[in-house]
Amino acid sequence: MEKIIAIWLGLAVSEPTSFLIKSGIFLSVCGATLFVALAASYPAVHDTLHNVRHALAVVPCH
Amino acid sequence: MSLNLCAVFAFFFVSFLPGVTVWAEDLNIYFKTTPRIELLRPYADPANMSLLITGADGRPVKQGVVDIRLDAPEPGGFFSTDFPFVEGTRLSEMRMELRQGRANWKFLLPIRGEYRLAVVVRTADGGKASKDFKFNVRENQKKWFALTGFSIGLFLLGLMAGRVFTAVPKSAMVVLFAVALLVESSQAAEPPRIPETENAGLEIEAGTVGRPTAVRWFLTNAEMAAKPNALLTLTITHLEKEKIAFAVERIPVGNEFSMKFQFTDGAEYRVVALAEVPGKPPLRSEKVIGVTAIEPPAKASVPALAYFVGLIALGLGAGRWTKRRAVVP
Repeated sequence: MEKIIAIWLGLAVSEPTSFLIKSGIFLSVCGATLFVALAASYPAVHDTLHNVRHALAVVPCH
Repeated sequence: MSLNLCAVFAFFFVSFLPGVTVWAEDLNIYFKTTPRIELLRPYADPANMSLLITGADGRPVKQGVVDIRLDAPEPGGFFSTDFPFVEGTRLSEMRMELRQGRANWKFLLPIRGEYRLAVVVRTADGGKASKDFKFNVRENQKKWFALTGFSIGLFLLGLMAGRVFTAVPKSAMVVLFAVALLVESSQAAEPPRIPETENAGLEIEAGTVGRPTAVRWFLTNAEMAAKPNALLTLTITHLEKEKIAFAVERIPVGNEFSMKFQFTDGAEYRVVALAEVPGKPPLRSEKVIGVTAIEPPAKASVPALAYFVGLIALGLGAGRWTKRRAVVP
């Protein structure tokens, strides 16, 4: 269905390009999530995941 | 010309003659930890550190003082440790009196890497020797297992996503990962409960992670301070982890003992000093201090985050490859 709409709107892209776009968005979301979980200093997040950060050996914490 | 040369030699000879000391050739310095260095792990149990100073005849030096300086491992490699602000900083600096040629203390090592211990010994008869020790502390194996598990999880997440994004079928997948957290605990030994005294005091600077803090114990009672002959037991306990971060037991001190100690974690610590003065009841002083944490620098987080995102990207590529290989004949 989304392909039909995309073609109708003239937004159709090749399969490799589609994969790259999806992957790029996915990686951005994952990177942002990892940043918040492992590197952000928001007290609520930090306090909850403090032990996880230390348990991973390579994630800096204070 | 030769007369001038002789004068210069004579000057240096006369200048240095009064300062002649016995150097390392006449004093031997030995360093030992319990458990063995290979078994030490960061933030595990505190290590018992011991120095033995002997004369040329192999007998322990009877009287003397030892200056001890412990430096944390230098930053290095791609990844930081979990305490980047501790890397390359001074962990403790203190002077202890030798008892039968020995100085013992407990220390909770905060991070993995190569520690540097500088020791300078001065004996009562004017002897002096110094030695630097380097010892390597390996990371806790549980942490490497946790990192491996987390890395595999991220790779699989990328793999699944890669297959979904490449997929011809219209199926969606939801992948959930649970990461087991490693929480370990151990009980720290409590000093005997003795009421606090006003005959002794404890002064501790405001503690901040990354720099040594001055810790000073002293006798306030003038009568006791006039005849200093106390044995001091000083214990610093990390309250959240319930571990002893530093301890010296019954070390001879004058009417005061001071040292520099780095509180390596932004948490609460309890400092307890218990002094035994002959003919007097034990003197107990206690302070609980909160240590200011410092936000790790962004550059310390970047390698770890890049590694994790890289793993997901690798998984995406692998997922696409496996899917295409399965579809394309």
